[in-house]
Amino acid sequence: MSEKKAHQEITAKLRAECKRLLETGTVHTVIGFAPGSMPGRTVPVFITNPQEVAQLTWNPFCAANLSKYLLDHHQPGGKAAIVVKGCDSRGIVRLLQDNQVLRDEVHILGIPCRGQYDHRKIPGGLEVEETEPLEQGTADVAHPELHLEKCAYCENPTPVIYDLLLDDAVAPSTDSKGRFTEITDLEAKTAQEKSTYWDDHFSRCLRCYACRNACPACTCRECVFDQFDPDWVSKRNNLTENTAFHLIRAFHVAGRCVDCGECDRVCPVQIPLRLLNRKIIKDLDELFEAPTPGTDLNVKPALGDFTPQDPDEFH
Amino acid sequence: MIMKRLLEFAGLEPERFQARWISGSEGAKFAATVQEITEQIKKLGPNTKMRDTDE
Repeated sequence: MSEKKAHQEITAKLRAECKRLLETGTVHTVIGFAPGSMPGRTVPVFITNPQEVAQLTWNPFCAANLSKYLLDHHQPGGKAAIVVKGCDSRGIVRLLQDNQVLRDEVHILGIPCRGQYDHRKIPGGLEVEETEPLEQGTADVAHPELHLEKCAYCENPTPVIYDLLLDDAVAPSTDSKGRFTEITDLEAKTAQEKSTYWDDHFSRCLRCYACRNACPACTCRECVFDQFDPDWVSKRNNLTENTAFHLIRAFHVAGRCVDCGECDRVCPVQIPLRLLNRKIIKDLDELFEAPTPGTDLNVKPALGDFTPQDPDEFH
Repeated sequence: MIMKRLLEFAGLEPERFQARWISGSEGAKFAATVQEITEQIKKLGPNTKMRDTDE
């Protein structure tokens, strides 16, 4: 099946299914994607009226991970339907494992994904006349070079958990070589070089906390960074406190980060946050042979479990 | 283990953050470890990373 046909078919299927779910009262809300105000952009949409399902869309510009919105659309005893890609579905597993959402409170509409476009790469790389056909699914050429970085190596193009799959499953990349190249490259640098690299990035941080807000692993009701006068990090916006903030944020989701890349994508000053998270994922893989968190509902987070075989370096 | 690797990834010298298992009955091991770490740190000189806050 060609890619262009698939988008239209999936959107039609999605709308019909959501209409049915809302009409029959199976779900109270549908969380999905709607066209944005510009070509090549989509926005999250929350639909409760079956007459409004035509707002729903599916195209390769649905980069956001909607899973975190489940926390805002919680109705005791009710069910919300949510549209997820493979990477997003790991976020659902995260919320389920952390008991933030119960399995019978969510109806998962999975869409196998062939990669999402990075709208930041579009303006320079593609004319609007080319963007629209991609979005509508009438383009003849795909542009993998304009995909989000995370899409270059995808572990789960097909959602790992779903109630309904809206398209044929897509096989994951088999070539895992180079999966952590950007991490080993930075690891190989000297402490001073690494420090300078991060100083350049962290000094730009606005402390807007968008990275935290978008994260399906960041679900504390009272976050340390919201406290009036936290002990280990202050609200001052300077390099030291920003560095402390970013290290604490990364460590708080260690072993639970599902590598959906939302922190990275939503950062208004393009701090490569995913690099920090992936460093931890790489170490967990090497030390505990831990798979990417969220891949399997039955695998406990590596740092939330103990076995006598765990490595010990602190003799 | 994860914390130590993360700090090194962020540019902290490996010697500055170290962890050891030392039980309450291992006084000699504790003293030797502290001495060893102190010497390593002295060689590095004062830490400049994350020290620009005015508190």
